[in-house]
Amino acid sequence: MKWRKWNNLLHRDLGYLFFGLTIIYVISGISLNHKHNWNPNYVQNKQILSISPVSETSPISEERIRRITDELGVTSTVKSTFQPEPGRLQIFLEEGNVSVDLNSGQAELETIRERRILKELNYLHINGPRSVWTYVSDLYALILGLLAVTGLFVLKGKKGFSGRGKWLTLLGIVIPIIFLLIYL
Amino acid sequence: MRKSYLTVYVLLVLSFVSSLAAEEIKFGEPIELKESLKISNILENPGDYMNGLIRVEGTIIGVCAHMGCWMEIAGDEPFTKIRIKVNDGDMVFPLTAKGQNAIIEGELVALDLSKEQATMMKQAECEEKGEHFDPDSVTEGITVYQIKPRGVVILSE
Repeated sequence: MKWRKWNNLLHRDLGYLFFGLTIIYVISGISLNHKHNWNPNYVQNKQILSISPVSETSPISEERIRRITDELGVTSTVKSTFQPEPGRLQIFLEEGNVSVDLNSGQAELETIRERRILKELNYLHINGPRSVWTYVSDLYALILGLLAVTGLFVLKGKKGFSGRGKWLTLLGIVIPIIFLLIYL
Repeated sequence: MRKSYLTVYVLLVLSFVSSLAAEEIKFGEPIELKESLKISNILENPGDYMNGLIRVEGTIIGVCAHMGCWMEIAGDEPFTKIRIKVNDGDMVFPLTAKGQNAIIEGELVALDLSKEQATMMKQAECEEKGEHFDPDSVTEGITVYQIKPRGVVILSE
């Protein structure tokens, strides 16, 4: 078989085989790339509420905590509580938490929900599993390199690397260099 | 025949999923020390605990919302806490772990903050609480103690 036939065969079959992983890294890559603008793993909603001021001094009794959650209309089970300082109370719920200013009665209710699927994809992207996944993701990186190289030589002639292909490849190398020169 | 395969498959998936829900979450190395120290003792005499491994446990009261790179554990004394801090990606503590108990084994680390750094830290704390921050209230640098974990176990609810 000629080398180009092997090249194209490899490019095609590796492309099929690693389609799934590529989509995982595409989605999670965009998600994590914007982590300064949003939380890629959780949906957090905050609500400001009010309760009657609490004059009870520390420690806050369980009965008082129950009355606070009733007043807030919280039905989620209380996991635990903590007072970071005398006038504040944190109540940790099954599905979020409440931070209460005991003196003013102002409360912030935060609900936390995992971004199902996306959180798992992000976990793979940052090598969360470690151990064997490290080698799987290393292998994927090498295969991606191979796909990039074989892709250069799929076509012949004017539309191939010897034609316009070399200019597009050069442009693809120059663009990140320009960003490095500007920002580094 | 197909129904029985489907039944077995569904049962296997359900048992796998339920096992995930019930398990503790572990990070890093297994916990080896048997006894936990009181966080209040560590904060009162940090110099006594600077060399070697220590073990603490307590309720998780705060978790980094961005990369899960730190969490805070409530101390045994009222209003006390200590931070468990890792480099980004070394361990990713789940935001949903707030309120659960955790066991941590690691090294106590002293973080010497300059006056500017201490100012930024206090400002961030005030912003989080929605309080007014007076920069003049910070007059000098401070030393903050936190634990660099070797192993963490977040206990199931």
